[in-house]
Order: sequence, then C-alpha cells, then structure tokens
Amino acid sequence: MTEFNPTILAFCCNWCSYAGADLAGVSRLQMPPNVHVIRVMCSASVKPEYVFKALSEGIDGVLVLGCHIGDCHYLTGNHRTAKRFPLAQKILNDVGIDERRLKLDWVSAAEGEKFQTVITDFVSQIKQLGPNPLREVRF
Amino acid sequence: MNDLGKKLTKMAFEDLKADYLLVVRQEHGDLAPAFISKDEDVGEVRFDAPYQLVTVLSRIYPHIPTGKIAIVSRKCDELAINELTKRGILDEKRIVKIGLACDGHTADKCRCPDPKPSKVDIGEPVKGIPEDPLVAKLMKMTLEDRLKYWVRQFKKCNKCFGCTANCPVCFCENQCVLGERTLVSEKSIPPGLAFHLVRSFHMSDKCIECGECERACPGDIPLLALRRMVHADMKEMYKFVPGDPKTVSPLLTTLEGEVMEDEHNVC
Repeated sequence: MTEFNPTILAFCCNWCSYAGADLAGVSRLQMPPNVHVIRVMCSASVKPEYVFKALSEGIDGVLVLGCHIGDCHYLTGNHRTAKRFPLAQKILNDVGIDERRLKLDWVSAAEGEKFQTVITDFVSQIKQLGPNPLREVRF
Repeated sequence: MNDLGKKLTKMAFEDLKADYLLVVRQEHGDLAPAFISKDEDVGEVRFDAPYQLVTVLSRIYPHIPTGKIAIVSRKCDELAINELTKRGILDEKRIVKIGLACDGHTADKCRCPDPKPSKVDIGEPVKGIPEDPLVAKLMKMTLEDRLKYWVRQFKKCNKCFGCTANCPVCFCENQCVLGERTLVSEKSIPPGLAFHLVRSFHMSDKCIECGECERACPGDIPLLALRRMVHADMKEMYKFVPGDPKTVSPLLTTLEGEVMEDEHNVC
C-alpha cells in the first residue's frame, strides 16, 4: 500500500503571499511538494466557485492565502475574502465535506517561514483527513 | 370572474389606485400568472396553491416603464420585494402590496415557519411550523452520511435550471457563473456537486425561503432544506437575515460594516 499523497491547491495573492512563497523558496525552506500554487491578483479574486469546483473534482484541500487585514494592495479586498470563506466552509459542512479541507490564512511578503509552517501544517492535516471522498464519486 | 377576483380588482384599482394587477388564475384547469390592466377581466383567481409572483414581476418589470403595479404578496413575496428593492432592481414606490395570509395547507407544503405578512388583506393567518423536520434530521447525521445523502439527491439533477429560472431573487440574468461552460460543462448531466454548492453560496445572502426551487425541481431534490441550513449559518455568523429592508448583506461590506461602493447588484 502506497502512502497517501494529497493534491493541494494554494491560491496566493500576487502582492503578499506569492512574494512570501518566493521568499520561502529563495531561503531554501523545506516544504512538502504536494502544493500547487496558483497566483491571483488579490485573494478577493478567488471566488468560492473555484474552490467548490476544485473540491468537487477531487482536489484534497484548498488553501487561500492573502495579505494581512489592512495591508491589502486594493484596500478592502481581503475584507471580502475574510467574510466569504468562513461561509463557504459552513456550506461545505452542510453538504457533508469536512470544512478543514478549505483553509484561509494571511501571509505577508516578509513571512517566508510562516508560509512554510502553513503549508506543512495543512499538508499533514489533509494527510490525517484522508483522500477527498468526492474523488470516488463520479457524477 | 369569481368572488375573490371581484374583491381583488376592487381593492387594487379603486382603493389602492394601481394601474396593473398581478395575480394567479386558473386557465384550462391549470394555474398561471396573469398581468392585467384596469378594464380587463381577471378570471378565476385562485390562491390555494403556492406560486411565486415576484419571479414574474421581476422579469416583466423592465418592460413596464410607468404605472403602479399591484401584486398579491405572501410573506415570502414581501421579503423578496424587500430584497430586490434594497438591491435597486425594483422601485418601491411603483409597487403596491396586497397582503395574503397563506392557508394551513399551503403553509404545510412549504414547511413555512411564519406565513403571516405584515399587512393582511385576504385570508386568515395560521401558525407556521417552527422547525423543518428534514433539516433537524440532516444536522444529526455524521459528515459521511450527510454527503452520501446529498450525493444521492444531487445525482437526480438533470440541469434543467428550473431552480434558477423560478427563483424570485436570482436577478443576474445572462451573467451568472452557472451559465459559464468552464464551470458547468455542456455535456455534464448531472452537473456535479459544484453546481449546487455555487448556487447555495449565491443564495446565502438573498434566499427568502419561498421554496420555489424545490417545487420547480423535477427530481424532487430537497433544495429548501439546503437553503435553510445555509440560512441558519448566515444568521449565526453575521446575524443577517435576507429580506430585511435596511441591512446590507455582510458579503458586500467591509469588516467594519461599511458598504463597498457600487456593489449592490453583485451576485
């Protein structure tokens, strides 16, 4: 039996989290290779639609990373994210998908180490949760 | 013209001085919405079955530039009108509401918690059902069982878009992401879980729990139960109840509660 290797999407905002990911890479911090980073202009441009689509197509976990509240390049972009994703988590819970498969966090451009811990923790959490049950369900 | 029709036309055109009246009437043994002006015959008016007239109103509203429209509104219609006026789609001054209290049979059918409108003109108010039995049952289940239940239900979906077409508060026509072929592919029937998740998210700050989606669904998917669950979450998290005439949806405000500019019509 092979070990379960989760597939994880991370939506990173261009101005903070993506730069944070860059810093983590440049500093050669070790991270699990399960994460696919998708660069977006702002965490608010990640509509919950994309997250729902990813999860229902069988992705094991989705990370949404943005700037800290107050540091948004577009002033109130991440306020919107902060309101949307807790609700999206509740909706996932209502249809029976574990809400821990979706995580929202703030990583600034200077926090390469935080990026590493967020990724490592999330991957180990998803490993504990097991594969996405929707991977087996064919609609 | 039956007695209810006579009473309604008198009330709408003489007492309330409206120019048009929107009702449900019997046509060839079936229920159909009717939009009539002053001198037309209203026909056999019936209100013993649930029918969402605001859906019809919001579709024809852009084509009627002037005049007051009288609409027979139940509690849910009233909330839908509030929600649409708040988002700038309807003009409150041009709409006259004739309050209709649902009878016991209709309230049972919708599992309605509060069928009494703010102003009762027709009918006797009855007590509602405080808790949806299906929601209570689903919330007791474990996550796996709940997912199994919903997957079984959503497999019946044949992507007829009846739930969006009949929804009174689904206002962004031709712009909805559910019409996007990259999200919901043309071939996919059933359309998958994402379709229903996206719809519940869109409805989270608008749904007024009329249950029209559930009645329109040819597969009998209990969509109203899902809406109610999301509604309860919304209430718990942001203390927001859709259909309130004043408070702006929390998804359109900043964390401090300030309204973001020009964002009222965003889904």
